[in-house]
Amino acid sequence: MADGRTSTGSSGSRLLGVITLVGLASLLLFAFVLTEPDVRLHPTTGEKFGQFDAVRLIYLHVPMAVLTYAAFLTCAASSAFYLVRRGAWWDVTAHASAEVGTVFCGLVLVTGSIWGRPVWNTWWEWGDVRLMTTLVLFLLFTGYLALRRTAADPQRQARRAAAVALIAVLDIPLINRSVEWWENRTLHQQSTLAELKIEDLTLFTLMLGFLVFGLVFAWLMLHRFRVGWLEQAQARHDVTLAIAERQAEMETLDVGAAIGESGGEK
Amino acid sequence: MGETIDEESGEAGPLDLTPQASRPQRPARKPLSVIVLLAAVAAVVFVLLRTLGDASLFFYEVDEAVAARADLGTERFRVVGTPQPGLVETQLDGHAAVVFTLCVADVLADVAHLGDPAELFQPGVPVVLQGSWVNGALPGLDSLLVPAGDGWYLRTDHMVVKHDNDYRGDQAELESCGANS
Repeated sequence: MADGRTSTGSSGSRLLGVITLVGLASLLLFAFVLTEPDVRLHPTTGEKFGQFDAVRLIYLHVPMAVLTYAAFLTCAASSAFYLVRRGAWWDVTAHASAEVGTVFCGLVLVTGSIWGRPVWNTWWEWGDVRLMTTLVLFLLFTGYLALRRTAADPQRQARRAAAVALIAVLDIPLINRSVEWWENRTLHQQSTLAELKIEDLTLFTLMLGFLVFGLVFAWLMLHRFRVGWLEQAQARHDVTLAIAERQAEMETLDVGAAIGESGGEK
Repeated sequence: MGETIDEESGEAGPLDLTPQASRPQRPARKPLSVIVLLAAVAAVVFVLLRTLGDASLFFYEVDEAVAARADLGTERFRVVGTPQPGLVETQLDGHAAVVFTLCVADVLADVAHLGDPAELFQPGVPVVLQGSWVNGALPGLDSLLVPAGDGWYLRTDHMVVKHDNDYRGDQAELESCGANS
């Protein structure tokens, strides 16, 4: 690498990685073993009902959804700073958070679909406002990532991408409020946390999910940022090297020409 | 000094070494990324059209569906409501059907759902059904606990469950008669 580094790891990031892995293991233990399935007794029929084991997906799906918002909001804020200050740091941060956010958003769609099959009786509902706006967010940031690879000029590429990020992020309030604004166009439940309809170990495990996925996000961001930063350093290094080579070539040509001229005079 | 060949006369002329303004180069584009970008834009447009262009994706609540019965006619639509206790399994036109009463805001509608109901289908858990109004006698109506019994029923063939946001176990409250009650 340009500055001699051969890895994006450091003692701090390795420690963070270990804590994250332990956190993930703990979360899986709480989510799939220690918490109870959602089983209730019907007051009239006496039959069992609820979401049964499918409810366990709440501990993965909801934290990932919140971290998706966090990633794309980070991308938008960094893009805004980039447009104002033009610092490479902001551009690399925007790119890294968009990439991590797109991965999280994809996982939100997948886990939501897996959860929807047993609970809603459908993998996917076309026209459901919450689902559609989330899919649109995923597609917008997939487009953003593709856009980042289209222009050869890095400055122009960064400016265009920043503008797209600032537009794409407007979808987040639509997603978040869709269950309230278009209640009759979505199967998606309203916010559980806002109404505090969760308690005890279920609430604890959900909070643990937020913490653990926050650590996953931080770890991924750290490494992706370092990869981006090294890519930029590599690009700068390549340009410097190319200029130096060209200058050396020119000097050789000048010397050759000078020798030629002096040789011609003989 | 170098020379150039005049294309018309074929004669050699002096080479023009005056500095020229360089032609602006178009930045190179990577074809795969452009294709992905265009595909993403096309997908967004498709999704928006699919979402906004189909009015049938709107859910009527039972009271709205009853009020709009004349306008809806035999049109297919979606309706959301809470199934009331008392489900009757019967046959309708040679097909297995579940007959029950759907309710929102104390307005009732009888339903004959053809085919398998959703796995988590239960009285008190709201469902979204797709079908149309039928004017006629509903088999099994007499066995329902709280039938609408107004001579109309919803004949549906698509059912999805709209579960609540309550995760407090047995403290979770069931919908008694839909979202408005």
